[in-house]
Amino acid sequence: MIAAEQSAYSYLSAYQDLAPSLPGVDQPWLQQLRAEGLAAFAERGFPNIREEEWRYTNLSALNKTVFAPVAEQGIDAAWLQSYRLEDAYSVVLVNGRYVAGLSALSGLNDGVSVRSLAEVLAQNPAALAGKLGQAVASSEHNLVAFNTAWFADGVVIEVAAKQQLDKPLQILHVVTEANALVVSRNLFLVNDQAEAEIIETYVGSADSYFTVSVNECLLGRNAGLTFYKAQLEAAKAQHFGGTYVKQAPDSRFAHHNFALGSLLARSDIHSDLDKASACTLNGLFVASGRQHLDNHTRINHLQPYAISREFYKGVLDKKARGVFQGRVVVAEGAQHTDSEMNNRNLLLSADAEVDTKPQLEIYNDDVKCSHGVTVGQLEEKSVFYLQSRGVDAETARNILTFAFANEMADKVENAELKGLLLQELLARFPAMNL
Amino acid sequence: MSTSAQEIENLISQEYKQGFVTELEADTFPPGLDEDVIRRLSKVKNEPEFMLEYRLKAFRHWQTMNEPDWAQLKIDPIDYQAISYYSAPKSKKDKPKSLDEVDPELLETYKKLGIPLDEQERLAGIAVDAVFDSVSVATTFKGKLKEAGVIFCPISEALQEHPELVKQYLGSVVPVGDNFFAALNSAVFTDGSFVYIPKGVRCPMELSTYFRINAANTGQFERTLIIADEGSHVSYLEGCTAPMRDENQLHAAVVELVALENAQIKYSTVQNWYPGDKDGVGGIYNFVTKRAECRGRNSKVSWTQVETGSAITWKYPSCVLLGDDSVGEFYSVALTNNLQQADTGTKMIHIGKNTRSTIVSKGISAGKAQNTYRGLVKVAKSAENARNHTQCDSLLVGDKCGAHTFPYVEVKQPSAQVEHEATTSKISEDQLFFCQQRGLSAEDAVSMIVNGFCKEVFKELPMEFAVEAQALLGISLEGAVG
Repeated sequence: MIAAEQSAYSYLSAYQDLAPSLPGVDQPWLQQLRAEGLAAFAERGFPNIREEEWRYTNLSALNKTVFAPVAEQGIDAAWLQSYRLEDAYSVVLVNGRYVAGLSALSGLNDGVSVRSLAEVLAQNPAALAGKLGQAVASSEHNLVAFNTAWFADGVVIEVAAKQQLDKPLQILHVVTEANALVVSRNLFLVNDQAEAEIIETYVGSADSYFTVSVNECLLGRNAGLTFYKAQLEAAKAQHFGGTYVKQAPDSRFAHHNFALGSLLARSDIHSDLDKASACTLNGLFVASGRQHLDNHTRINHLQPYAISREFYKGVLDKKARGVFQGRVVVAEGAQHTDSEMNNRNLLLSADAEVDTKPQLEIYNDDVKCSHGVTVGQLEEKSVFYLQSRGVDAETARNILTFAFANEMADKVENAELKGLLLQELLARFPAMNL
Repeated sequence: MSTSAQEIENLISQEYKQGFVTELEADTFPPGLDEDVIRRLSKVKNEPEFMLEYRLKAFRHWQTMNEPDWAQLKIDPIDYQAISYYSAPKSKKDKPKSLDEVDPELLETYKKLGIPLDEQERLAGIAVDAVFDSVSVATTFKGKLKEAGVIFCPISEALQEHPELVKQYLGSVVPVGDNFFAALNSAVFTDGSFVYIPKGVRCPMELSTYFRINAANTGQFERTLIIADEGSHVSYLEGCTAPMRDENQLHAAVVELVALENAQIKYSTVQNWYPGDKDGVGGIYNFVTKRAECRGRNSKVSWTQVETGSAITWKYPSCVLLGDDSVGEFYSVALTNNLQQADTGTKMIHIGKNTRSTIVSKGISAGKAQNTYRGLVKVAKSAENARNHTQCDSLLVGDKCGAHTFPYVEVKQPSAQVEHEATTSKISEDQLFFCQQRGLSAEDAVSMIVNGFCKEVFKELPMEFAVEAQALLGISLEGAVG
């Protein structure tokens, strides 16, 4: 506990120097938001396992190092290129800062604007008032509060009504410095009847750092947003990534979450569904070594006729720990809700652990809701079948494990991204050379 | 729906049939709780020294604890100093030797409840250790059980006659500091049942206790301890009804089960305490800690519960599967209507190898009630080949009620297989229409569908209880659909 207090104290004292340099100091509404975040963090520090939503994820390791924001540094272009998708626009955030020079946005159609958050706050802050902080508040938990107080930059993407992003847009979050504190806040405005496909990629060339990223997505009526997240952070990184969505009537939101990197990672995906909107959440977490991957989702059915589908898979090897917490809330009056949730987990080693907590909270009668969870290991019969065809046991296991995970990669429609994900997955199941 | 709103209104507002108060003089402590009250309580009950220490330890621990607030429940604050912690019927000194000596008014109470004690003897299937308020007043079938070597008596009597057994097992499953209500119970429990089944004995009859909460302002703190020694078998029934009261009455019971090698315990409950009126006034607070330990190889514990009563239910009958190849089962029907709240479920802790558990939970929520399933399946690293299957279904009747499912699954063993399934839906219009088309009234159709929904659980109940359970369900639910 003392470590936690010291850690919070050192962040707070560093904040004194940092605050004047943060964008939007002259905006009372933003200062208000930041003050709320800061007050919440000052009171309780980082979330701890006594909080119900954090009972399986212990952040005390965060208290051992004090991470600090770093200035923009040089970047290995060739290395970055290996994560960049060819057939997509791209935005690069280096250590949490928007770098225009590395971004590739030429050819973007008129109805789409992609800008740095700091830049918008400097030039036209009024455009963000009432939008920033609408999908999530500091009261959610203290990492959101921390993000709200600390963020220095991020990206603001707006797709005008009836407009479409003609190509996917990739956001590359890159960290180059050890012990860096990388706080970014991103805003996605997909207006009425607009469509967009966003691909988030988190990578790091430094070893150990701390990412705190918050996305807010506001979807207009009948808008569609497909969101991919490839979390490929460095092996000792700590990662928090939250995506909070507000869906207007008839909108469609699909999120595909691939959590493969980091030592300790937590992902939050929350969506508020208005009338007749649809929400699909797919996810895969593959952890090995001492990795800890926590996946937290919440779907709020606030109005009638909305549909939600959720499917998460986990593969845990060595001493890894996986967590799935999925919550579906059907509010009073949200008649004709249709919701399904599924979580399947594969435990490959005696030291691995999975904790899963699917929750249904229903305040209404005319609903169709279900959830299912399984935890198990590879079927011996399947392994034997492959062995009887001359495949050695280890390869057989890798094939079956890969097949289990591949089901989620298969749901990715972007071929290029799928290739990148498969490459990352295959690297985790070696000895499959037949 | 064909049923008129008026009819539904009438049916929903049915009075609680078991509500009445028996006028009995009671020897009651003034309200309040401190160490002196506990000392006095222990003295009145003439308990051995270790019991007083046990109680004081629990009380001191309890004072450091806070009420749990994690459940999906809204609980009005409880004033623990406003409760009287001891109440005994006057006839305590000279305990009746047979039913003839029992206060006729008391017997009348049981008759109204439909459990005529004088008929029980002839029915021969069940021995009833009837608990009226806090002191046991009648125990039947002692002789037959004695022959088999079975000890079935009030726990206060067991403390006099078998202190070593009580000392060995009491608090070994639910330690004094386990949770707020268990600690309170450990400090102030007045009576309850004690069962010991010796090695290799199959209990010749089903054991049953009926609880009553009677004198006003008396919290009831029951303590049940069942020990099934190696190779033994017992089926225990617990049924509850309470008279109508306006004040919330607290019930914080603790049930401990111990199953040794090859032993089997089946514990069935039908709970129909006063749920409060339709505005949520009155009703019992039912905060119960029930836990079983399968200590030996091949042991088995099966919990079956039908929960239709109480204003608030907070109850998680659990199994700790320590022995290899041990089995835990949990079958539950929880029905809430009007403003009732229930947060109930189970914990299955797999520690031994090849341990298996099954959870079947059926929740029915009507009116403005909130019904929550909360369960934990935990597979420790040592539990090779552990197996769990969980099925929890919720049925919603009316658009103002709520049904919630909070399962926790924690697995540390790769060879374990754990499955959890949950569905929530309302009664299908098609099914209702189908039944009505064949000449059933809307009422009967709903009752039939709900009974079908619960069948998986009812078939686990002993015969007598299954009938009672179905009737209870009918009374509690009839007409709640429109």
